[in-house]
Amino acid sequence: MSNESALIAAAKQGSVSAFTELVGVYREGLFRFLLTRAPSYADAEDVLQDTMINAYRYLHSYDARWRFSTWLYRIALNNISRVQGAPADDAVDVADLGDEEGGPLEQCILASEKENLWVTARRVLSHEVFTAMWLRYAEDMSVNDIAAVLERSISWTKVNLMRARKQLDDELNRVPRTSEAYG
Amino acid sequence: MDKLAQRLREDASRIDAQLSPQLEERLRASLENITQEQPMAAPVRPGRSFWWASSLTGVAATLLLIAVVNLSPQNPEPAVTEPPPPQQFVAQFDWRLQPAVLTQTLEQELVAIQSDLKKVRQVVRDDIGQVVVDVPAGQAAGTDTEPRQNP
Repeated sequence: MSNESALIAAAKQGSVSAFTELVGVYREGLFRFLLTRAPSYADAEDVLQDTMINAYRYLHSYDARWRFSTWLYRIALNNISRVQGAPADDAVDVADLGDEEGGPLEQCILASEKENLWVTARRVLSHEVFTAMWLRYAEDMSVNDIAAVLERSISWTKVNLMRARKQLDDELNRVPRTSEAYG
Repeated sequence: MDKLAQRLREDASRIDAQLSPQLEERLRASLENITQEQPMAAPVRPGRSFWWASSLTGVAATLLLIAVVNLSPQNPEPAVTEPPPPQQFVAQFDWRLQPAVLTQTLEQELVAIQSDLKKVRQVVRDDIGQVVVDVPAGQAAGTDTEPRQNP
């Protein structure tokens, strides 16, 4: 029995410390993901808390055939969709993006010369495709696991990952911004 | 790993997601106060003995029903169906008939009766407001005629 399985078994018996240790591995990555999706920093914190509570409360329903992180992200995605007040597959409204410059993602990006590609991704991709890209490239999840998290088919996941990559490539190769062009 | 994937990975790591001590405390406190849901007990499937018991109960009930039907009297007394006397249902009318008393010749009596009949018709017409077929005097004995149009 692996360490994770042992922790899950102990947490199912009601051990909070085992559960804390179990989710400790994923907590920071999950919070990072929530920061990219939540409307505000406080919302990201709330959703993280709700996700932990739901995961602990309904741990008995966890199916060991799936990775624990897959299950955890599924719960987080449900919670974040509730906070956003829209289904997870709603496209980003480009017209509203001007207000998001001060969002949690921008606040938490460490200083760099280049624009963070995830900010661009959030601007050009729908919530669902953005999530697929995040799980693939930030969390190294397999396509099967991403499909499970999004409750989509594997072919849908593959196709949309490819399209998202092309969209990001196109966006990166576009004419540079005015400030850069005029130096 | 291609350049785009590499950059996505690097940019993801540049997002600071350090949990604050306050958030850590919040998470710990909330987990302490949560009780886990217990899995619902799976419904108990009836075993073979249940099947036998229900079958035997059904058979016993069927036999009992057959026995009750067959042991009851074979020729039960027929129900009394004698009809009541018809007078009970036939209305008794008081016709108030009076015998005719002839005081004149038959022709004069006929004229008088026709006159009375005409008056009665008029009264009836006024009372019920309906079109009453006016029988000509010569056909008063009941011959059928075409109804006259009301003016």
